[in-house]
Amino acid sequence: MKTRCQALLGTFVEISVDQDEHLSAIDKAFATIKLVQHLMSFHNPLSELNAINQRSHLSPITIHPWTAQILHIAHEIYTQSNGLFNCGIGHRLVAAGLLPQHLDLAQYQFGGIEDIKFITPMLITSSKPLCLDLGGIAKGFAVDQAVEVLRINGVESGCVNAGGDLRVFGSSPRPVHIRHPKSPGQLIEIGSIHNGAIATSSLYFSKRDRKHSHIINPLAKSDSDIHADFSESSSIVANQCVYADALTKVFALSKNDDHPCFNHFSAQAIRIAA
Amino acid sequence: MMSIPIIAQAKIYASVEQAQKILFPKKQLSKSPILITDDLQERMRQASSIRHPFQGDRIWKTADGSWLIVDEVVGKHEMITYAVGMSSKGSILGVEILEYVESYGYEVAEEQWRKQFIGKSATDPIKLNQDIQNISGATLSCKHLTDGVKRVTVLFEAALKAK
Repeated sequence: MKTRCQALLGTFVEISVDQDEHLSAIDKAFATIKLVQHLMSFHNPLSELNAINQRSHLSPITIHPWTAQILHIAHEIYTQSNGLFNCGIGHRLVAAGLLPQHLDLAQYQFGGIEDIKFITPMLITSSKPLCLDLGGIAKGFAVDQAVEVLRINGVESGCVNAGGDLRVFGSSPRPVHIRHPKSPGQLIEIGSIHNGAIATSSLYFSKRDRKHSHIINPLAKSDSDIHADFSESSSIVANQCVYADALTKVFALSKNDDHPCFNHFSAQAIRIAA
Repeated sequence: MMSIPIIAQAKIYASVEQAQKILFPKKQLSKSPILITDDLQERMRQASSIRHPFQGDRIWKTADGSWLIVDEVVGKHEMITYAVGMSSKGSILGVEILEYVESYGYEVAEEQWRKQFIGKSATDPIKLNQDIQNISGATLSCKHLTDGVKRVTVLFEAALKAK
């Protein structure tokens, strides 16, 4: 087995392949993740995501097929979760100092993912100004794209792990650990994953670093409800990492391990109490 | 008193030789150490806010003037050894993580924590759990690494560019 690691998507991304002859496939998989980052980064003012945020309410914008795909998935999860997952919360993270400020927040009444309309498969417009952040879904999406690239390049089995959003593919199952939310240095082995994905949301590092919670409740009625506060960790197992990643937010906010949308996406919830 | 962390993990991804092959495939590199003056050390510190000194002995050069620089960044909770590939003009060709060491447990003062690892290699007898591959919930900030790459670019401008 060969594992490489690069810093991408604001975290450390590990790519493991079981056969050493496929090392060039790892380069291609990292390049894929870099493309996802280039398209969907909130931090990079020149990303396609920021073009959508700056202009989609003014004029139609042509987007990359992957951006179109992630917006469709985000909208599907928004619908199935009754609005509990919504990427239109970027301004909340900006206001809390968790994301850089590219827009004057005071000037806008922001809409959400539901305000995006597809004119053609790659041309979108928005009925309201947007401050989308794909931080709750893009890592999972990038992991899935990287797995696709590894497979196309002949890799039969391996694993892609973007800071804990991970997917295992191929013939060999791999053991997976989850951090103990009370003491994140302790790891709990939860079993093995064979052709599947897992992602985890928790606040132990935010609390350690004394930052605002990055889990935003898009349905918050009052200011005090915007940043969700909890001590447990919420993991989701799903077939694809994009769903695992996004659904951890639905789980963390609803605290319902039997939320109807998990069944819809063939996902399973695992809570670890602090 | 040196504190031993209760739990530490070390992940070793690549050796320097492997990083050379990843960042500069099919190229020959020759070691090209630099003497880091106090002035340069201070400029790198100011640009990156990294306090521990840069070691100038892990620098390599290709025949066409590109550079490979190995450095590490140390935070309260982790230490990352990384390699940066730079073109002769100073543009970054790639950054590869070589080692990632994470520690939890006692409140470890940064200085003490760092002393445990600086200059050690993977074979040193530190009790580290090296077998854990897949951890979910590991969203760790890579800001330290961004700072590290920043100081390497300062090194290039100040010391490598003219060579």
